[in-house]
Amino acid sequence: MKKIEAIIKPFKLDEVKNAITKIGIQGMTVTEVKGFGRQRGHTEVYRGAEYKIDFLPKVKIELITPDEMVSQVLETIERAAKTGKIGDGKIFISPVEEVIRIRTGERGKDAI
Amino acid sequence: MQSNISTTLLSFPKEFFRQNSEMMDGLVRRVFQEGQSEISFPSVCLMAVGGYGRAELAPSSDIDLLLLYSSSQKEKLPPLIEKILYPLWDLGLDVSCSSRSINECLKMAQSDLHVKTSLIDGRYLDGEYEFFRKLYGLFTKKVLHRKVEKFAEALAQDLHLRHEKYEDPTYTLEPNIKEGKGGLRDFQVGRWIIRAKYKTDRWDSILFPDHSRMLDKSLEFLWTLRNQLHQLSGRKQEDFSFELQEKIAPLLGFSNGTEGIEEMMRQYHLSTERISNFVNDVLDHVLHDPSPLRKALFLFKRRRIDKNFRMAYGEIYFQNSLIFKKDPTQLMTLFGYCQAHQAKMDFRMEEAVLEALPLIDDRFRNSEKVNQTFLSILREGESVETTLRKMHELGFLSRYIPEFSEIEGRVHYDLYHVHPVDIHSILAVGELGKLREGCYRNNYPLLTSLIGEIDKAEILFLATLLHDIGKGREGEHPLVGAEMAKLIADRMGLSLEDRELVDFLVSHHLVMVETAFRRDLHDEQAILRFANQVKTSNRLKMLYLLTFADVKAVGPEAWTSWKDTLLMELFLKTSHFFEKGAVAGPFLKGDEMIQKLRESLSSEIISKYADHLPSRYLSCYSSAEIAHHIEMARSIEKEFLLVEWEIVKEVQAKVTICTKDRYGLFSKIVGSMFLNRLNIIEAQINTWEDGVVLDTFWVEDSTKDLDRRLEQLKKDLGKILSGNVLLKDLLLTGEEPNSIRKKVVPKVPTEIRVNNEDSDFYTIVEATAEDRLGILYEIAQVLTDHGCDIHFARISTLGNRIVDVFYVQDAWGEKIEGKNRVDQLKRALSRLVLKSGNESNQ
Repeated sequence: MKKIEAIIKPFKLDEVKNAITKIGIQGMTVTEVKGFGRQRGHTEVYRGAEYKIDFLPKVKIELITPDEMVSQVLETIERAAKTGKIGDGKIFISPVEEVIRIRTGERGKDAI
Repeated sequence: MQSNISTTLLSFPKEFFRQNSEMMDGLVRRVFQEGQSEISFPSVCLMAVGGYGRAELAPSSDIDLLLLYSSSQKEKLPPLIEKILYPLWDLGLDVSCSSRSINECLKMAQSDLHVKTSLIDGRYLDGEYEFFRKLYGLFTKKVLHRKVEKFAEALAQDLHLRHEKYEDPTYTLEPNIKEGKGGLRDFQVGRWIIRAKYKTDRWDSILFPDHSRMLDKSLEFLWTLRNQLHQLSGRKQEDFSFELQEKIAPLLGFSNGTEGIEEMMRQYHLSTERISNFVNDVLDHVLHDPSPLRKALFLFKRRRIDKNFRMAYGEIYFQNSLIFKKDPTQLMTLFGYCQAHQAKMDFRMEEAVLEALPLIDDRFRNSEKVNQTFLSILREGESVETTLRKMHELGFLSRYIPEFSEIEGRVHYDLYHVHPVDIHSILAVGELGKLREGCYRNNYPLLTSLIGEIDKAEILFLATLLHDIGKGREGEHPLVGAEMAKLIADRMGLSLEDRELVDFLVSHHLVMVETAFRRDLHDEQAILRFANQVKTSNRLKMLYLLTFADVKAVGPEAWTSWKDTLLMELFLKTSHFFEKGAVAGPFLKGDEMIQKLRESLSSEIISKYADHLPSRYLSCYSSAEIAHHIEMARSIEKEFLLVEWEIVKEVQAKVTICTKDRYGLFSKIVGSMFLNRLNIIEAQINTWEDGVVLDTFWVEDSTKDLDRRLEQLKKDLGKILSGNVLLKDLLLTGEEPNSIRKKVVPKVPTEIRVNNEDSDFYTIVEATAEDRLGILYEIAQVLTDHGCDIHFARISTLGNRIVDVFYVQDAWGEKIEGKNRVDQLKRALSRLVLKSGNESNQ
């Protein structure tokens, strides 16, 4: 099993969510996050006053998937989240040791 | 223990309580008598206290008992208590039993609030009646009716602490119907005080009959809910959880599904609101009844506001109790004074207001004086939220704006909306008030400065109060609400312009959120579309402020710095458009153009292309031209390049080139033109959002050989774009430059400007220079070499001077920023145009 974390542009959330559900992923966690990478923050000016946008708003989605689906999920997220411009985000993949569904105590794949 | 009483009775709480208590009384008496017969213990009295004492027993309520004894026989008590408790415990009842002598009772009641209140509700069950009579005689005389004010203060404090505990928004969504605000405990507090102060249980003696009837209904509703909660969960469940809300709504006759739950919760909120007002009123009565000393001082402290109203100790009094009957418009005047003087109403004043509510009729609502006062409350007043809340609490607001009653207590069955719609709306106005008073100066400096900039703040406040007014009716609430708000605004006598503003704000109150959170704010089109909807800078500011107030008033966690950033960015970008005037004029015509295109193109094609066409592009061509361009775009899916031309006056031609965008394309096109000795007079470079490039060029060839040259251009360009030939090589082998020298003409001042201020999305490069063949190619080449991707360009030739404007981004879709990059680009371009100037001067 793998955990896939993707940082994407906020307005891409619906598209990514739809694409991911279409390929059969049943759940994910979504968080509103802020940060910066190569796309730095910037300063906006209004009537002479400066308003700093240090950290850019992004959306983080996290989901756990069985190994055999990883490449499909990655491809789907990549396609859906891409605008081709800077700040499209990143995807991180990491191994997951165990998953437990609290209600039933199921473990492993069944618990995803 | 679950009784045999029929479950349908649960919804008739009074009858249920009667039967349940009777049954319980019988049971308790039996175990008491049995116990007494086994353990001879003659003089003892059994009482029911607390809720059981009031005979208000829900299915799983506690049974609180009290044994009164004379102080000499203490030792035998524990066995008797066991005899009573064990059998009842075995039945699964939640029974507690305390035993005290009469003196202990009185002593404890004096020091312990809980003992005191439970005794108020005490009821004789069995045993020595004389003990009960004696206790009650002493209790009422020595405890209950003494120091009533202190008692009320203690209860008020207790109530306050309890409310604080249940203030958390989760309790608003899943309320505790006993301990929460306006819950059953609150009602008891009010009743206890009335009993202590007025020696009666008839609360209608200090309320209007109308109100006591409503209160009675509210109470019955809560009792019914509690009965169902206990019954369904099989225990003393007072938390009204989502799960139980879902189960109970249909049991109470509400429709299935979300709607029924929302309707039930609306009734719940209305009920608790009434109980809350009741207990506050009662507390106010008791705590603020002036002492004789105060009454005397009062005469001195009093000052006149006008001929009808006086003020003292921060409270407004009336001079004449008939004022509202004589002139109902004084009601609004009174609220105006309350706000202007930051004063509360004396409770007799409040009663007079309540009594005068039926006088509010259409004449009142249409009265100019009334409406002007209301608008000035919104416009100038501090603590506007407090004033609106009071209006709402007294039922004045929904008499004045009858539509408001449709959203009273209405809830959303979800986790996000914490407050019922009416409260949410007033809170939203309160948020604007806080901005205006500067409370958010440090956290939200931009919004704070904006609220000072807008014209007609009262219109914004009014629209905010009404923004969700459509939620009580069918349909999309912003649109429905806008219709209602227009009528209200009309009734208030607002000008056409102001009515339109209210209409706009209410109907668009979700647009900014939708755009900020769901659109790419780095896409110029998204900002343009939003700007098109908003149209003016004042409206934009108001919409931003309304959006803030709306989100902030949803609940304490709704407004996050994440949302703050996105909304601010959208505001600033749009605001820049308005300031630069970029949206005014031709850009607004984009939508009209799409409408026109519908006449000639199928809706399928329109829907495929309409979104990709930039407004800047739409504003430059006629609908026939655009329709033709779309035809071209459709065919480049097979052929990768289309070049069409139309010759005018032998020496000039309009050339249309359609292909897919690629890096350096513009420089390749103008290079090929240079190669073919075509002088570019004007050009319009357009990149659609789907990557289709549509360029039109006006070219000139003084040798009148246009057809051949253009034919050759098409071939060359085809070869270059397919990668078969390098433009560089062709340029080397090309014809010798035209040997005909231009005649000497006045020198043109050259200027290069790289502008990052005027657009949030593009760096704008402007070049003014002396014209010569190939200069455009050279400029394009420099831009390409410096990593600039040309999205839009306008090339024009004025005599021997060219004025070129390029909208460029780097390969990442960002502007060309950083002093170094800008300077390098500027230097390279300056070198180029100066060289051209020198050459032509040779």
